Amino acid sequence: MAVLTTFRPTWLQRLALAWLALLVLLAAAAPLLPLPYPPGVPDLAYMAEPPFSAARHWLGTDPQGRDVLSTLVFGARTAVLLTLPAALLAALVGGLAGAAAGFWGNTARVSLPYWLMGAGSVWWGLQLPSPVLGLGLILIGAILATISHFQSRTLPTWSFPINALVMGTATALDTVPRLIVVVALVASIGLSASGLLAVLVLTTWPQLARLVRAQMLRVRQLPFVEAARAAGLSEWQVWFRHALPHALHPLRTALPLSIAGLLGLESTLSFLGIGLPPEVASWGRLLATVRDEPSAWWVLLFPSLLLTMSILSLNALSRFSTPKA
Amino acid sequence: MGRFIFRRLVRTFLAIWALASAVFLLSRHDLDTALRLALPDAASQTGTSPALLPQSQQAALQALRQRFGLDLPVFYVSYGPVSPAGAPAWRWNGRRNQYHQWLRDLARGNLGTSFRTGQGVAGRLRHALAFTLPLTGTAAVLAVLGALALAQRLATTPWWQRPLRVVLVAVHGLPLFVVALILLLVFANPDVLDWLPAYGFGQSSDLDLDAGQHLADILLHLILPVSALVLTAMPELTLQLTAAIQQELGSAYATTARAKGLSEAAVVRRHALRNALLPTLAQIAEFLPALVAGAVVVEVVFALPGMGRLLAEASAARDYPVLIGGVLLTGAVRLLALLLADLCYFWVDPRIRWQS
Repeated sequence: MAVLTTFRPTWLQRLALAWLALLVLLAAAAPLLPLPYPPGVPDLAYMAEPPFSAARHWLGTDPQGRDVLSTLVFGARTAVLLTLPAALLAALVGGLAGAAAGFWGNTARVSLPYWLMGAGSVWWGLQLPSPVLGLGLILIGAILATISHFQSRTLPTWSFPINALVMGTATALDTVPRLIVVVALVASIGLSASGLLAVLVLTTWPQLARLVRAQMLRVRQLPFVEAARAAGLSEWQVWFRHALPHALHPLRTALPLSIAGLLGLESTLSFLGIGLPPEVASWGRLLATVRDEPSAWWVLLFPSLLLTMSILSLNALSRFSTPKA
Repeated sequence: MGRFIFRRLVRTFLAIWALASAVFLLSRHDLDTALRLALPDAASQTGTSPALLPQSQQAALQALRQRFGLDLPVFYVSYGPVSPAGAPAWRWNGRRNQYHQWLRDLARGNLGTSFRTGQGVAGRLRHALAFTLPLTGTAAVLAVLGALALAQRLATTPWWQRPLRVVLVAVHGLPLFVVALILLLVFANPDVLDWLPAYGFGQSSDLDLDAGQHLADILLHLILPVSALVLTAMPELTLQLTAAIQQELGSAYATTARAKGLSEAAVVRRHALRNALLPTLAQIAEFLPALVAGAVVVEVVFALPGMGRLLAEASAARDYPVLIGGVLLTGAVRLLALLLADLCYFWVDPRIRWQS
């Protein structure tokens, strides 16, 4: 597959990869590590304690007396567990939607049985009057599809505007800057990790879909797609087996960048006190406490160092794909 | 050209309407929490379920619902039990619903009233904008000018090009709130460098200040926020513009200009820059709404009374009318920026002028 071609990383990229691997490992093993203090539990005897001073708070405590080291480790866990799934889901949704929009445009012909099945499931799903009618529609559609499959008869088709649908949704989601959309949506959903994950996916997929769609517009005109059609493959197979792997190419660059963007967004949100419940440890929330105690440099330095290094590593990784000419 | 601009504006307008409607409808499913937060003694009531509230609280909630028109159905159609014991079914609500009234008020320029303060949202936004617009406007102008100046010099590849590029890439990777916090803790900290005031904007203690001193006080408070915004906005613009100029410098007309005996700086300024500006203009259209989002972070860090902080506080307090107003306003900025960028294209590129 085109996505998995080998690359030869520079030493900087090796370093970046090692750092990110360490971070993911740290996040995975956070509950097993022998940390002297649990995160989020204030140690009232030591408030705003500098690093290496007393009582096994190796990296000091924040102005509320919580251990900085364990907050950092569990904050890494929060960041990894939130941004990685969000980026992957967004890549999946954006990749499929963008590739479909680019390949078929507004002219995808969908034949009668599938329209019937779609209308029936909408009818049933929305519980419109007498939902059995919807089930009946689905059944009729399925029977028609089977008959036409075996008798190879052509049924009437209508075009389905995939491109307009995908691009319209994407435009609606990214005309207003992401931070504002997320701030507005999170307020109506409430503080929860799964809700935040959904909002992050919802606001990340449009840019990935645009990239994949642009690439697909180029790929679908290449000779090998025509050859696949000439070989008698169905449209669906041409799209999925032949065109899609090439159209996903831009994601190799875009995925690390979108993870970096999500990392910044997640920490900004928790810095503002929006999105995650207060008991979840996060780098942004730790950074926010420095405003209570401006002399506590260790509360600013360590999390911002981790954040910066992670984002710069991801940026360095995104340059994997550019071939050396 | 005119038709193209018109179609794009219509599409953006529709997108903003869809987004604002989505936020409006989503916000209605959890109104109880929002209204309880809006009650005067909200702090003591968090965590109790509505059934456990005392009678007076229930009455107050009901009064609030009636005052904001929240006792109406949310949308044209609703799904739920027709009678308390009946099976759920779809129901047509007619035009007496919250969404219709919201749209009608919006068309008349009325953005609604804030749940928390009871003031008009439009007035609050205008107040906040009076502060945010100078802040982000200054930052935008400075960032664009800085990027123009820097990119012209970077394009001629002086010896300091490499280290500066590394610094720009690094700063570009930093989230805005980290930059703002670092600036705050370095330049406005009694323990490090006590050069600039950190907080207390608009609360100068001396009443006998004259206008000049007052202005100076405001400016002193604005230095750090503006530089934080500029620092995060400039690297991307600079890198993009530099790349564009360097690409233009490889073209034939640049060689001709050099052959005429022009200095490299003149080639960049008078020939390459003008063509390189074209792709950058589109980026400036992206960048004006982004500055509004940037204001959210900067105003929270520096405790400034602007639109960003209004939005952040509204989000924490679930003050939906203010939030939706903020989304609409940002959308309006986006529309304006698109229009501005298209007009700039029209003015900068004669090819576009000739086509229309």
